Amino acid sequence: MKGIYYVVILYIFLMLPPVANLMESVMIIHMHMQMTLFAAIGFLLAPGMIRKFPRFFEEWNPNGIPGLLLFVLVIVYWTLPRSMDEALNLWYIELFKFISLPFLAGVPLRDSWKKLKSSWKNGLIIFFTLLFIVMGWLYIWSPNQLCNNYLLIDQITLGWGFLLTAVCMIIYLAYSYITDLAENI
Amino acid sequence: MEALKSYDWKDKANKALGISQEDARITKSYLSVAFIAILFGGLLGLLQGMNRAGILELPVWANYYKVLTAHGLLLVVVLSAFFTIGYFYAGLSHTLGGLLPKVRKMAWIGFWMKIFGFVLAVIPVLQGDASVMYTFYPPMAAAPMFYIGLVFIVLGVWMLAFGAFINVANWRKNHKGQHIPIFSFFATGVFVLLFFGSLPVAIEVFYIIPWAFGWIETINVMVSRTLFWAFGHTLVNIWYLTAISAWYVFIPKIIGGKRWSDLLTRVVVIALVIMNITGGFHHQIVDPGISESVKYMHVFMSLAIGFPSLMTAYAMFAVFEKTARKKGGKGLVGWYKKMPWGDVRFLAPFIAMAAFIPAGAGGIVQSTNQLNQVVHNSMWVVGHFHLTLGMTVVMTFFGVSYWLVPYVSGRVLTPKINKLGIIQTIVWTVGMVLMSGAMHWVGLLGSPRRTSYSTYFDNATALSWDPYLFFLAIGGTLLMIGVLLQVYAVFYMMFFAPKGETEFPMAEEEEDATPTPMWTERWGLWIVLMLTLVSMAYVIPLVDFIVNAPPGSPPFKTW
Ligand code: HEM
Ligand SMILES: [Cu+2]
Repeated sequence: MKGIYYVVILYIFLMLPPVANLMESVMIIHMHMQMTLFAAIGFLLAPGMIRKFPRFFEEWNPNGIPGLLLFVLVIVYWTLPRSMDEALNLWYIELFKFISLPFLAGVPLRDSWKKLKSSWKNGLIIFFTLLFIVMGWLYIWSPNQLCNNYLLIDQITLGWGFLLTAVCMIIYLAYSYITDLAENI
Repeated sequence: MEALKSYDWKDKANKALGISQEDARITKSYLSVAFIAILFGGLLGLLQGMNRAGILELPVWANYYKVLTAHGLLLVVVLSAFFTIGYFYAGLSHTLGGLLPKVRKMAWIGFWMKIFGFVLAVIPVLQGDASVMYTFYPPMAAAPMFYIGLVFIVLGVWMLAFGAFINVANWRKNHKGQHIPIFSFFATGVFVLLFFGSLPVAIEVFYIIPWAFGWIETINVMVSRTLFWAFGHTLVNIWYLTAISAWYVFIPKIIGGKRWSDLLTRVVVIALVIMNITGGFHHQIVDPGISESVKYMHVFMSLAIGFPSLMTAYAMFAVFEKTARKKGGKGLVGWYKKMPWGDVRFLAPFIAMAAFIPAGAGGIVQSTNQLNQVVHNSMWVVGHFHLTLGMTVVMTFFGVSYWLVPYVSGRVLTPKINKLGIIQTIVWTVGMVLMSGAMHWVGLLGSPRRTSYSTYFDNATALSWDPYLFFLAIGGTLLMIGVLLQVYAVFYMMFFAPKGETEFPMAEEEEDATPTPMWTERWGLWIVLMLTLVSMAYVIPLVDFIVNAPPGSPPFKTW
């Protein structure tokens, strides 16, 4: 399990002030790259934690649905423009971002993923696809600045990032639908 | 079940009898075009080299930029693509039990579309209406026919990519739960990149055509450059992936060894496919309109591609050493004596690999912002890609030709041709080292690329370039000799060598290899990851270029 150390090193690296500042200087990288990486770190740390505290996960997340809800809640919270502003202005919200994304989003997602039926998994992807389309629409066509810390052009870029990600998820869904179909004939 | 059985039978028949006549004809045609392209391309290269050395003044009807455009197109668009396709289609046929009739038809349609497109593109070049070089950056504008030719070339490539996908999908349907044979795995990666990598350039060309016709007045220069390099850089890595496929799959067999870890080989392919397209930005390090932090992050992405390359270097030396030690090689470096140095099928690709050490180092130099400013658009860059492309990739192709051509034509590699190949390899190595060394050096001294001979009114700096440019011409002359030897060898092996059986030298896995997990086969997932990464990387500059667009540029004819 040497892999764990690399993940921890990456976690610390991403929190170093110059690295965090660079990533937060561009809105889309802040939301789509930094935040995704933090959630991914939780996802990678999860197996170790699940092994350490099996009872805890068994008790609180027996069928995967509570974990899924927690994940959705935390991620939706961080897609709001105001929460990004706060993370940039208040150090304790920044800290909350660093902790909540790995441990309240990445870890529960990993624990839930193997417990969930595929209908829930696809439901989750469909939910995020729709959410991303709505967010993309909001950021691209909103006439005013939604975030104090970023320019309008940053916001439009982020909007297109959301739409493109949604397109990628649609392609993924179509791909898994077609391959499943091909498996079953 | 019945279908499965007959398929296995076909597999076996294929192995025993070699490639079917029909599949062989496809590869032979593609390879012939590739080597004719290198013959003409090399000749034009020699003219350029002579001109740069101040030895030869090109006549008006063959001015430097026209020649340079043709040299670039012949070698970048024709040679590399035609070789890659011929090579992988032979491999698909061999490893998947023959091409499907439908796919064979697609390969021929693609072939003629590419040829037709190339003829359309070359006519205006020869007429002097398209001296835009192979990068055709707007606002330089060629005659519309040039771009229409490019459209056909891209459509031909797509035809071949889909042909390959259909053949692989068919095999997978009949071999549920099995891994795609490793060589076809490489082929899948290459065709995935060819298809997705050529999407941006297709968009660019469809944007240029109305502008070239004058239907729209201006063009967004930065958008078109960015779309071009999303493709251009991917193309470079397609050649690289093609070359390393030969290193991973065939070289171990030729030296009498086993393949390196199957899992890690597949991981290298997947990593290259996912991370490739975003590297395009390292060609735009001095372009305006991209903020510094974005450029910085892109450098990071480019250097990430170095990781699979380092894995490859490690893998190759591991295979060499292991094989040589099995044969009794001893000592820290003494094992190298056990390698088959007299076999051109090994020597040429080995030198190709060795060339990638300085070539890769030069690439890292160019990816670095400050160093890039020193060498940007100088002859250094030309030296760099003659090392990577002209040596690493092309010499691997040469090495492959010594078994692939006899294999598809039902002939054998004679000791005489092997010897000729060894001489060719040495001539090419010396020529390329001289030429690209001189190019690197004179570039550092400030000599620009894509500029015909000039002393700039006897400026002292420009005059100081002359000795290096002279070496460039000497190297170029040796290379032309190398081209002649190689083309002779290829057509001799294709039509005149003694008939016989040549094997398709695919190496086996180690006996004690651990089985490769099935997740490596999830191509849909890799493609979606690739698309996500590409969207992330391109959305920032593209939105900026489009939303904050300047008025745009009308077409210019600068020559
Ligand atoms: C006989 C062998 C060759 C000679 C003498 C030669 C020489 C040259 C010279 C002198 C230039 C022009 C530099 C400039 O003014 O910017 C050039 C450009 C180029 N060469 Fe070669 N070359 C040879 C083979 C190759 C091969 C085998 C390849 C690739 C497979 C290749 C790819 C290119 C490309 C892509 C360019 C750039 C064209 C451009 O800037 O638009 N060359 N070559
Ligand atoms: Cu590149």
